Amino acid sequence: MIRFPTLAWLALRNLGREMRRSALTAAAMTLGLALLILSRTLADGAHEDWIDSGVRLASGHVSFNAPGYRDSESLDDRLTAGQVEVTLAAAAATVPTSSTGPTITTVRVATRGLASSADGALPALIVGVDPASELAFSELGAEPADGRYLQEGDRLQAFIGAGMAARLGLRTGSRMVLTAQVASGEIAGQLVRVAGTYRTGLDELDEALVHIPLPVARSWLGVEGATSVSMVLPHSTLTDPVLAGARATLEGSGIEVVGWPETARELYSAVRIDDAGDWVFHLILFAIVTLAILNAVFISVLHRKRELGLLRALGLSGAETGLVVFVEGVLLTVASGFVGVALGFALVWVFFRNGLDLTDMMPADITFGGIVFNPVMHPAIELRHLVQSVALTTVIGLSASLYPAWHAARLDPAESVKVE
Amino acid sequence: MNTTSDSAAPAASEHAVRTDDLWKIYPQDPRPVEAVRGVDLAVAPGEFVVMAGPSGSGKTTVLNLLGGLTRPSRGKVWVEGREISALPDRVLAQVRLSRIGFVFQSYNLLPVLTALENAEFTLLLQGVPAAKRRRRVRRLFDRIGLEGIEDRRPRKLSGGQQQRVAVARAVLGEPALVLADEPTANLDSATADALLDVMEQLNRDNGTTFVFSTHDPRVMERASRLIRLVDGRVAEEIVSGGAG
Ligand SMILES: Nc1ncnc2c1ncn2[C@@H]1O[C@H](COP(=O)(O)OP(=O)(O)OP(=O)(O)O)[C@@H](O)[C@H]1O
Ligand SMILES: [Mg+2]
Repeated sequence: MIRFPTLAWLALRNLGREMRRSALTAAAMTLGLALLILSRTLADGAHEDWIDSGVRLASGHVSFNAPGYRDSESLDDRLTAGQVEVTLAAAAATVPTSSTGPTITTVRVATRGLASSADGALPALIVGVDPASELAFSELGAEPADGRYLQEGDRLQAFIGAGMAARLGLRTGSRMVLTAQVASGEIAGQLVRVAGTYRTGLDELDEALVHIPLPVARSWLGVEGATSVSMVLPHSTLTDPVLAGARATLEGSGIEVVGWPETARELYSAVRIDDAGDWVFHLILFAIVTLAILNAVFISVLHRKRELGLLRALGLSGAETGLVVFVEGVLLTVASGFVGVALGFALVWVFFRNGLDLTDMMPADITFGGIVFNPVMHPAIELRHLVQSVALTTVIGLSASLYPAWHAARLDPAESVKVE
Repeated sequence: MNTTSDSAAPAASEHAVRTDDLWKIYPQDPRPVEAVRGVDLAVAPGEFVVMAGPSGSGKTTVLNLLGGLTRPSRGKVWVEGREISALPDRVLAQVRLSRIGFVFQSYNLLPVLTALENAEFTLLLQGVPAAKRRRRVRRLFDRIGLEGIEDRRPRKLSGGQQQRVAVARAVLGEPALVLADEPTANLDSATADALLDVMEQLNRDNGTTFVFSTHDPRVMERASRLIRLVDGRVAEEIVSGGAG
């Protein structure tokens, strides 16, 4: 279309005249997109937070085990010492290089058993851990409620939840007995001393999860390898690539590699459900912004019927007249869209860089999906938000301008020039 | 009919515009409106034709039909020998751009453009280079008393000035004919006279063909040919010895 530059120039001039309406429309667009980005980054930030804290208390983002272990949770389905070596090598090979945070790999021997004291007994999930990597992995021992976390060289120590301590009448320094079925099939007890306690706020953990040193667990349970090797990645989005890489490396080794959506199903559905809710909200916001823009562009067409008829009389075809309106709408949305996107990110950065603290607005210790809800929401500012927003802006611009443009293209010129 | 004889062109194209049994019927309840009922018209290049008639007699509709702004229900329109009534929208727009100049009763100008930009708009769409456009606009502005208003927006022009800018725009593209629908209706008589002087001058000096409608008896006096419409039909045609 040879005349396109002229039509675009005219569209620009028209926008310039409709300064107030343009500004209002732009403000609607700007506000909508800023809000969208705010909510998107906060939601994604919160989700990442949930995932991170959830998988740390469970099996990490990616976890390696023998086939059948996740169903049986039995020591019979364990990785041999050789398989643990192979797994650690595979894990090391798949560590993402380009990312910001550290990747932590930890080896565990876990079993279900009983924890008992003079006061009684409780079912327990007993996990033999490597203190150094586990401290970084689960962060359970980062801030003990009492005492200290396990250390390198500990022998008969245990780190237990505050709930268990209360119910079994235990304190730091108390002795307790752990009982479980060992590899040979017999039931065996292990005497340990409480090194410290933790409190997550999740009763099912605080009353059941016990950490003991890995060598103690191995000798007590008669196990050389491990029940699982788990990795915490710098970001949950790295799960799929690492999973794929590890699966490729371990092809045919008889070692199963699973991601957190499978090992933490409850958490996964919680994130999905929340995401779906967000999308509904975003869709509504999107629809409102689109309708506001459409309305503005459409009204500008109705107000300018005479002028558009005049353009037809001067020699523009219907399609070209529609194109002028279309370019106006797109210019308006794209320009204000970019301002909105920039404003959104700026808002997030200025106000929420250090997190949005909802502590005063919600009851303490809300738990779901195996995590404790963190009342401080941290926005996640990521490239994909930018890409999504720009795509969204474009879609809004196009969809809000198409109908008014089509209407303008179909105006009857003779009728339009009659309007005063 | 008033035809020029010194042209070597084929007979059909000797007319700036010609119609054959032109009808326009608007579908409407309870009965369709027959706005134009069988109008036969032929305008030679250089004519200065005035269409008169009571309100509702079909003047505007005929002008819109001549300019390809609306399509006839029946009958045909030729502009310089080219039949335009069945052309697709794009082609028809091109005909309007290159062969027709429109002047309406009021609000003829694009409010976002200056007087100069409005006047050169047709040339711009025709692809005439900027320097040439400016030169032609300025020369014409000087001739029709618009010098000095080039950079003003239509809002800041008097009604008469606006109409003159519209006439300037209409003639600058060197069309086959200029169609003006009651161009003086919103002007006081002195301003109306001045506008008519300009149109006459352009008709005389450049040979521009004008067809316009009016209610004003004093405007009718200026016509080289006066066509009276009544109820969508040509009721009377008066050829005077004036211009054309
Ligand atoms: N879109 C339309 N639908 C129905 N009827 C119409 C339409 N446009 C015009 N008419 C009718 O066609 C007839 C001719 O109208 P037109 O505007 O051509 O008259 P006119 O001579 O220009 O009148 P005026 O001097 O008032 O401008 C009138 O009866 C008018 O009501
Ligand atoms: Mg009329």
